Amino acid sequence: MSSASSSTAASTKSRVETPLLNPALLARLERMELVSRKIYRGQMKGERRSPRKGQSVEFADFRSYVPGDDIRFIDWNTYARLDKLFIKLFLEEEDLHFYALIDASLSMDFGDPSKLTYAKQLAAALGFIGLIRSDRVRIETLGQAPQAPGPVLRGRSSVWRMQQYLEGIEPGENVSLHEGVRNFCLRNSGKGIVVLISDLMDKEGYEAALRYLVAQQMDAYVLHVLSEEELNPEITGDLRLVDCEDDDVAEVTVSAPLLKRYQQTLAAFIGGAKDFCSRRGMSYALVRNQMPVDELILSLLRRQGLVR
Amino acid sequence: MWPQMTSLLSPWQWVILALVPPAVVALYFLKLKRTPLEVPSTYLWKKSIEDLHVNSLWQRLRRSILLLLQLLLLLLLLLALLNFSWQSSAFAERRVIYLIDNSASMQTKDIAEGARSRLDEAKRLVAARIDEMRSGDVAMIISFNERAQVVQQYTGNRPELRRQLANIRPTNRPTSIDDALRLASALANPGRTSNTDEGDVVAADAVPADLVVLSDFRFPPVADFALGNLEPKLEMLGAADTSNLAIVNFSTARHESRPDLVHIFARLQNYAEEEQSVRAELLLDDFLIDAKEVAIGAGGFVTLDFTREDVETGVLELRVAAADALTVDNRAWTVINRPQRRRILFVSPGNTGLRRALESDAARELAQVEQAEPPYLNSPEYKAEAASGRYDLIIYDECAPEKLPFANTLFINALPPDGRWTKQEELDTGIQIIDTERTHPLMKLLDLGDVMIYQGFVVKRPSGGVNLIDSSRGPIFAVAPRDGYEDAVIGFSLMPVEENGELYPNTNWPRTRSFPVFIREVLTYLAGVETDTNFANVRPGGTFALRNEAAGDELTVVDPAKKKQRVRRNRQNTYEFADTQQVGVYEVWDDDRLLARFAVNLFSQPESDNRTRPEESVRLGHEELAAQSALQPSRREIWKWLVVLGLVVLLAEWYIYNRRVYL
Repeated sequence: MSSASSSTAASTKSRVETPLLNPALLARLERMELVSRKIYRGQMKGERRSPRKGQSVEFADFRSYVPGDDIRFIDWNTYARLDKLFIKLFLEEEDLHFYALIDASLSMDFGDPSKLTYAKQLAAALGFIGLIRSDRVRIETLGQAPQAPGPVLRGRSSVWRMQQYLEGIEPGENVSLHEGVRNFCLRNSGKGIVVLISDLMDKEGYEAALRYLVAQQMDAYVLHVLSEEELNPEITGDLRLVDCEDDDVAEVTVSAPLLKRYQQTLAAFIGGAKDFCSRRGMSYALVRNQMPVDELILSLLRRQGLVR
Repeated sequence: MWPQMTSLLSPWQWVILALVPPAVVALYFLKLKRTPLEVPSTYLWKKSIEDLHVNSLWQRLRRSILLLLQLLLLLLLLLALLNFSWQSSAFAERRVIYLIDNSASMQTKDIAEGARSRLDEAKRLVAARIDEMRSGDVAMIISFNERAQVVQQYTGNRPELRRQLANIRPTNRPTSIDDALRLASALANPGRTSNTDEGDVVAADAVPADLVVLSDFRFPPVADFALGNLEPKLEMLGAADTSNLAIVNFSTARHESRPDLVHIFARLQNYAEEEQSVRAELLLDDFLIDAKEVAIGAGGFVTLDFTREDVETGVLELRVAAADALTVDNRAWTVINRPQRRRILFVSPGNTGLRRALESDAARELAQVEQAEPPYLNSPEYKAEAASGRYDLIIYDECAPEKLPFANTLFINALPPDGRWTKQEELDTGIQIIDTERTHPLMKLLDLGDVMIYQGFVVKRPSGGVNLIDSSRGPIFAVAPRDGYEDAVIGFSLMPVEENGELYPNTNWPRTRSFPVFIREVLTYLAGVETDTNFANVRPGGTFALRNEAAGDELTVVDPAKKKQRVRRNRQNTYEFADTQQVGVYEVWDDDRLLARFAVNLFSQPESDNRTRPEESVRLGHEELAAQSALQPSRREIWKWLVVLGLVVLLAEWYIYNRRVYL
């Protein structure tokens, strides 16, 4: 029993800080792009189709010329044939707003690699995809102070800044999931893709928090990060389990039935979250901290439709 | 049958042990110092525990599985210590009488390859049975050799039984189970009382009992005994192939014509199924003086005869170097004491024939004879001497004292004055001797066929005596005991009778060859003159009696182990010593003067022949019983299995503890 606890503690301390992104991963991510199931109105001209018709090269439609239209868009070939003035409409291409919302609470500082590290890697990878596709990328944590919002990043040149920012994120924000998501939503009213990377371990429940995201009408992804220790706890004996966030204590005598019960509770918890998300149009993915980030992005998130 | 338990622990050990289970439970509650472990969130754990709280009693039991296993382990160990056992044979006894043979043959060390003697084995078996006793059971222990002794009366007190059992010591005595059986029978089969008022009633309730006899059954069949309520179980002890070589006799005799020569006889018996060769060594006062190499055939015997000139006095010891299981009969002793001359008073009006016989050299060698006339009987000197017990024998010829002396007496043609002896009939027409009591020492060598007697009287002796010569009309010579002495009465005169003014011999006996022999027997038997060589050979446990008027009131007897014991002169003017348990030579000292020595030897063929005969049945009274191992397989102990089970539980506990496989 104590061996399990000590191994957990040891793994927490001794884990090596790996670089968030490695060249091999970057090379594979270069070819990908973020996909939104919704088309949002961007602020700048980007590489995304916008509901606004604009000046891209992609043809969209014709319409009759009315006085005041820019005569540069009159299709002169049609006029020559039909002797009528038509305006040629092109699709406008806009940038995509990508938000990565990282839960940096103390509970995320568990596992090897820690769930937080894993979340940062994930955010970095997704952010990188966004940056190289000229999307507007913003990475924030739940406990982000309203006065110091996360930087808005754009373009390949911002990769390094993003990495810097991510590496500066430390565990220890004492903010509930619900409050963090609400603040995020208040700060960022724009549309786009939001990826919430969290373990959802909030005693008040995750539902209220997720409802905010739904209300934001964003394309929301919930990446539920759980460590191996949470999924398959290897502890024995009579233990006093101490919650690292609120020092709440649970006295347990670990036994086979209890572990079985835990697995059932865990399965219910995961199933509940998945159910909640899918019913509200959100994408949910359970992410183990042992799964390599590239594999996660290349297979799981691609299947989910977040990247292409 | 219910399992029976006997504790291996004493009560205070049980008290300590009884404290262990509560201590384990207490420790179990104390030990719950839970190890703190930091987890990301207790959220899921709390939810899991909440679910489990629903059926909490069962959950608590499940959580206490380790405690329960520990208690189970303790219970098993306690049961093992309780020594549970099932009795496999139907030996349902409530009362048991153990008859333990402690005769000489039970010293044979032939149990467990010679590690234990038969008696030790008997004690071991009985001790095991005492351990198995249940509450309410009672047992009695009787040890027996030629006599029986109640070692422990009926009791359920096991420590006392064990203690008394341990006190049973081997003896060198022969075996006779009769007394022991009668003792046991008296308890199990109460007799009837003949109270005339109430009629014939049983004195007490008959109490059936098991009679367990532990012996090698080297005793004669018991006739005339009814077991009644006793249920006999015979435990034969000893190995059938035991061999023994024994000295069964060892004695000395002076040469008839050359008194300086001493014949030393010994008889060696081989109680084995094969021939044995041994070296027999003769020692005089612990110095080897002779040795012989003898071969004795299976079951046969050899008589050794050493003739020595140089042996005047001392202790002779014969040793055989036989490596057998019974050692007590491999040595024998005999003592050559200086002959003690006896004092005899011969009171006679002038019996020349008898006087001459008493004055012969042979008689003088044996005794110092003082002569007196009948008037001397009235003198104060005589009265003082007679009352002091100085004389060993007083011969009253044709006269009688006023009072019988403290001495053996021989009355010739007279009667002792105490009134117990009477003249039954005067005989004066010639007396015909028709029978003599040849078995009596006085008569054993006499042939009275040529003896003629003219006058006399028929002697009526007191009860307890023996008629030695019977005539056609009745006994004319008898002997009878009197307070430790013996009185002999000859009912005819040895002197001439006067008839018609002439003297005629009343009998021709003094002139026959049997008369000197008779006088010699009188001197040796009635005067107590032991022949010097065969002075005394006492059986173990027998009584040695010494008469010595010159000694003080107290003598010291030194036994072979050099232990000194005081012996007081008794009313019969003798010193009697009965503590002759050990074989060897005993010395009798009067202060610093060695008075006598006597040897105690086994000399018992039934005891020396210690081969057991399992195939033969033992006859107890009217029943033929097979001697068998009645005690051996009675107990089936399970404590070993309990301990093994405890180990399994311990392993299971270890596995559960380490593997989290709680139910």
